[in-house]
Amino acid sequence: MTVGTDIGIFTISVLAGLIGSLAGVGGGIIVIPALTLLFGVDIRLAIGASIVSVIATSSGAAAAYVRDRMTDMRVGMFLELATTSGAVCGALLVALVPPGSLYVLLGVVLLFSAVQQSLRLGEELPPTTSASPLATRLRLAGAYPDARFGRDVSYVAQRVPLGFALMAGAGVVSGLLGIGSGALKVLAMDGAMRLPMKVSSATSNFMIGVTAAASAGIYLGRGDVDVTVAAPVALGVLAGATIGARILPHLSNRHVRLVFLPVLIVIGLQTLARGLGIGP
Amino acid sequence: MTPDRFRALVSTVLIVGVATSAGLVALGFAGSLVVGWEGSLLGRAPVGESTTDFAGMGAGLAALRPIAIGQAGLLVLIATPVLRVAASIAAFAVEGDRLYTAITMAVLAVLLTSLFVIR
Repeated sequence: MTVGTDIGIFTISVLAGLIGSLAGVGGGIIVIPALTLLFGVDIRLAIGASIVSVIATSSGAAAAYVRDRMTDMRVGMFLELATTSGAVCGALLVALVPPGSLYVLLGVVLLFSAVQQSLRLGEELPPTTSASPLATRLRLAGAYPDARFGRDVSYVAQRVPLGFALMAGAGVVSGLLGIGSGALKVLAMDGAMRLPMKVSSATSNFMIGVTAAASAGIYLGRGDVDVTVAAPVALGVLAGATIGARILPHLSNRHVRLVFLPVLIVIGLQTLARGLGIGP
Repeated sequence: MTPDRFRALVSTVLIVGVATSAGLVALGFAGSLVVGWEGSLLGRAPVGESTTDFAGMGAGLAALRPIAIGQAGLLVLIATPVLRVAASIAAFAVEGDRLYTAITMAVLAVLLTSLFVIR
């Protein structure tokens, strides 16, 4: 590969890391099409590089988010139990489920969620409520420092069983289709559990690295993680995610939603197109 | 352990993992510009095919091949989330939170199962 290509991949990856760290998703939606369409990289190696990109986004941003109390570690670990178990089930079910219809279903769910998200665009913080006995028992409540308000904003997770079930579903889908499920994670925390958008995004960021690491071993063993492609991706994404993590605390929850919504729409359309057999 | 020290520990694991990985990948990348990915910074003869197993990577590292240095960096990157979960177990345990120590141990068990058992 030429130095020009390396610089191109690096630049695109900085963008992927930046957007991914703000929206709580891996950079796959940017990295995979850019590598295959712009730089002619084989799809297999592009997917391998995208797994690296997800982990780099997650680890690059999470160091700052954890320190800044943006990430809710208990919510993250509790839901990770659902996602990782779901992912294992999904990986075991691969042979039984036709992926085409699943992509269509997922695409429709994501686009439907985009409509819900756009209705919530004006909302800065979810309405405050009291904690359910389950949320209290599991300590799924906390506070994050909001630089915009200049104070700590406290929150309580609602509809915990629904959130857990959605996360398990997100895990099954990611195991079945071999895709990250950052968007589904943000939707479950924001939509079902009604956590503040910044907490949802930062906690999703924390979680996607763990989920991706579970499948990274498989890709690594198959030789799908090619250093010549993955090196500029990893370096670019790490740089972008580090920048993103510095920006997020200063954004309002509305701004984060404004970054997340177009990402959600693009993922929904890409997934739908893939299910219908159109595009890469 | 206070929640702040807990966060500091997890954050430190992440920073060390990310910095080590970025350093190795950057070193491999810089080396590739000088001698090519398959070359050797010690001037050994280039090898035709890259090896993705540990023995191949070890031999490549000994010869300071950029490809092996880069692969080691990517391996550290992939291991970082796993180490972060392991560090969280220790942190929850020290904090005396038995419920979350158990939950996090279960997450690590599922994670290791998926890494080493399912193919």
